[in-house]
Amino acid sequence: MAKCDLSIVLEKDADFIYDGGGTIRGKVRVDVDQNVKCNGLEVESGWKTHGRGNVATGNFTSVTLFEGEWVGGQVVEYPFELPVGDWPPSYHGHYLNIDHCIDARVKIPWGFDPKASVPFLMRPTCGPEAAVSEKSTKAGAFVATFVGVFMLIWCSGFLFFMAQNPLSLVCVGIFPLLFLGGYAVKVWLPKYLLGEVTCELSQTVVTPGDSVSGELVVRPRKNVNVNAITIDFQAREVCVSGSGSNKTTHKHVFFEQAIELEKATTLQAGQERRFPISFALPSDAPYSIELPSNRLVWATTMRIDIPRWPDWTKEIALQVLPSGEPLDPSARPQATLRGTDAPSSLASEGEITFAETANYLWSARENPDQLEALVDAVTGLSFRLEAFIERRLLYAGTEDPHLFKGGYAVWAHFGEPPLPLVLYVPQELGDEFEQLGRDRWIGQGTVVGWDRRHQRLQIKLETR
Amino acid sequence: MNSTPSVDRPIPPLESRHGHRGGLPWAWCNLWRNPFGELTREERAELAVVDVAELAAGVQGEKAAVQLIGDCGRGKTTRMLALWRHFPDASYVYLDEDLPCGAIAEGNPLLIDEAQRLPRKVMHRIFAVGLPLVLATHRDLTRALKKAGYRVTTYHLGDTNDARLVLESANRRIEASRLGPGSVPNLSLQDANELVSRFGSDIRGIEGYLYEQVQNQAYSDGEMRFVDCVRKGRGLYL
Repeated sequence: MAKCDLSIVLEKDADFIYDGGGTIRGKVRVDVDQNVKCNGLEVESGWKTHGRGNVATGNFTSVTLFEGEWVGGQVVEYPFELPVGDWPPSYHGHYLNIDHCIDARVKIPWGFDPKASVPFLMRPTCGPEAAVSEKSTKAGAFVATFVGVFMLIWCSGFLFFMAQNPLSLVCVGIFPLLFLGGYAVKVWLPKYLLGEVTCELSQTVVTPGDSVSGELVVRPRKNVNVNAITIDFQAREVCVSGSGSNKTTHKHVFFEQAIELEKATTLQAGQERRFPISFALPSDAPYSIELPSNRLVWATTMRIDIPRWPDWTKEIALQVLPSGEPLDPSARPQATLRGTDAPSSLASEGEITFAETANYLWSARENPDQLEALVDAVTGLSFRLEAFIERRLLYAGTEDPHLFKGGYAVWAHFGEPPLPLVLYVPQELGDEFEQLGRDRWIGQGTVVGWDRRHQRLQIKLETR
Repeated sequence: MNSTPSVDRPIPPLESRHGHRGGLPWAWCNLWRNPFGELTREERAELAVVDVAELAAGVQGEKAAVQLIGDCGRGKTTRMLALWRHFPDASYVYLDEDLPCGAIAEGNPLLIDEAQRLPRKVMHRIFAVGLPLVLATHRDLTRALKKAGYRVTTYHLGDTNDARLVLESANRRIEASRLGPGSVPNLSLQDANELVSRFGSDIRGIEGYLYEQVQNQAYSDGEMRFVDCVRKGRGLYL
């Protein structure tokens, strides 16, 4: 049984909509059942997703309201005032839901920590720059590079095997040939009839209620009969649950608008036809959202429907973003999800301590792009550091090049903030670490990277 | 230019609706979320309906191993997470299908999910250490374990996933989604029996179905219905 019960009361009614970047006030009430030592009554503002996707969370600011002793029978209230984050917005859909929340927790030594949470609604007031995610474009570039390298390797192997044994063509060549066949059907065949089709929208970054215009231009090589030329304007939630072989992608289309640019017709060879595009976003359109495992996507799919022939299609993504005036950076809460860029002092060795580095990384841990930039900035720097050992690794992973010959790796964490670390221990320090068990270690180490899978800073230790 | 907008649109979340507390979709039945969505690992462990003591008894001492064998959605990972929470010194690792085997930290016990994916070399190295093991696997690894000197207890999952388990795990999820003081909906034993007759021991399938049922009642009122005679969409007739 918990030694105390927590509840949170917000100053405003439950249906009040808070402005992003504003302030939320309330009280944490503690009903104490038994005498209890409190190592910290913490309250924080943040957000979390719920629905079919893996849970994504973020927090903005955390404050400690009380530390000390409570006596059984006491009822105490602690007022708080916290900044409201300005992204992502509140959203309630079919597979994806996002709620901002105030979480409270009592740290009790040697016991379960009582917790309480209350959701609230947030309307963004930030400008589009706060909401744009570059992750998708980076991912696209990565996939393109991967496919390119894969095809290069395969082509080399294919030619080698063909020279060795033509029969091996059947084994080695069948799957890539199927892939190429699919690509030909989708891209080359429509192009063979239609030539180069251009399709552009005047803007791909829009706000709810905006009108989008553009033009589709086609100059076919031959006379082509088409069933229709259409645009499918669509918004969908895309949520991923599980990982690896248990990974499932849940998609839900919640808005769809079919726009017919042209009915059945014949496009004449060599004659350029221009089709103006114009459509409007609903005034209550939810914003585009890009969170880990949870996305809200707006896209337009142009289609030229050719009878008895593969259709020409092209998808153009739209970014639906808030139109509010950008917040004054100086008025922002210090610990926002986007944070600030890596301070220039990080670039020069000797000007920053490991504690400062850990603080920057800790505050950026919810923001992959910012985290990557920070890790890049400190990689190669040597620090005097203090770490609390967690456990030794029985196996460090095939992809881990940092292990010392004859050495091993341990998981550890920094003190405050508790930034998770991987320490690569050289053979010379092996005995020292064996005797340490799970105690504190102080010494010198060089940052060598970031373990994405386990969200840990990688450090190679130096012998004294 | 003709256009046809669809009508399947979410209610804008920022509109305050008369009678709906805070614009939250399930505030009408005192829930802050759909209880049958994805949970965090910690919450899954916390809400698991598992006899942890029985499983824990199988990993007492050195060279003791427990194997959990079963199809997808039968509760292997949930049991693993419950054990992870139970043992303060345990370590848990999930082996991804499409990634190379990652770091495996020592633990007492060491819990390995999807253990059939352990590369042979790594498996021998781990088994040679002699730590107590809990393996969730699709393939029986008894031979390799016994060869390394382990005592093995094997559980074939699925048979125990009856209506009572469905009832308890569903109601725990509902309770964990409570918005405030007062009553929350409850799955009845009759509903649980109907779900088991439809889905058998597939807990994940039951949770997926219940998610859609609850989702269909967002911004509703009255009484939450978990099992309908006629299901919207993919047609379930009970």
